[in-house]
Amino acid sequence: MTTSDVTSTTNEAVQTVLVVEDEILVRCQIAAYLRDCGYRVIEAVHADEALIVLQQPDLDVHVVMSDVEMPGSIDGFGLARWVRSERPGLPIILCGSAAKAADAAADLCEDGPTLTKPYEPQALLDRIRRLLAGVGDRISVS
Amino acid sequence: MGEPNGKQVSVPAPKAILVVEDDVLIRLTIADDLIAAGFNVIQAASADEALKVLRSIVSVDLILTDIRMPGSFDGLGLAEQVRAGWPDLKIVVLSGGLPAIPPFNLADAFLSKPYDFSAILAVVKQLLGV
Repeated sequence: MTTSDVTSTTNEAVQTVLVVEDEILVRCQIAAYLRDCGYRVIEAVHADEALIVLQQPDLDVHVVMSDVEMPGSIDGFGLARWVRSERPGLPIILCGSAAKAADAAADLCEDGPTLTKPYEPQALLDRIRRLLAGVGDRISVS
Repeated sequence: MGEPNGKQVSVPAPKAILVVEDDVLIRLTIADDLIAAGFNVIQAASADEALKVLRSIVSVDLILTDIRMPGSFDGLGLAEQVRAGWPDLKIVVLSGGLPAIPPFNLADAFLSKPYDFSAILAVVKQLLGV
């Protein structure tokens, strides 16, 4: 399933994206971008937090966007397996790098409930790169 | 945005609040409420994450932190670091178990749990002058 399939039919309602990413400087930029596009964003630091969110009956999540490598009891693949088994039909987008995450966020904004699309995904990625360079991280962004 | 006479009106950027809380559901509740109140919110799950944000180019106007958190240090330790490194940054400490005599020099306000959002919002607005 592509992100277009996920969002094209329900643009009227506010949709919720669960962003699962352990690198805060990536997470906060992706979350801000998606919020600017009109989504409600729930931020989880790792899959264990994501599972807590997904098991709340009163929290609607429409899309999960998760990093693959994360600390905690399960990684992104484990989270995807859980979602497939326990929440079939809930789309999950796995992103192996910040670049993939920026692309996925841009796809969601392209097809989803866009308030404004303030900058191109490349600008989002450039900003993430600048942030990470500034603190000496060695996270993959390409 | 333009006025009838064609003058451009600059809209001030929303103030940015860094929420530091290790419980994802509490963090989400506070963040959602602050976003609904018109603030930019950056969410950190630990003091270590918060420091990473502060050392980056991300702009922060106020930090709202829990006390008890896993990681290198707790919320009071974070407040100490913030006071030393970013003395102009406003700090609000939230906790279920405040020390008998809160270290008032470390924060601009102390609020106890359970969270009362109207109290949080009032303090935040007062400290930020909005």
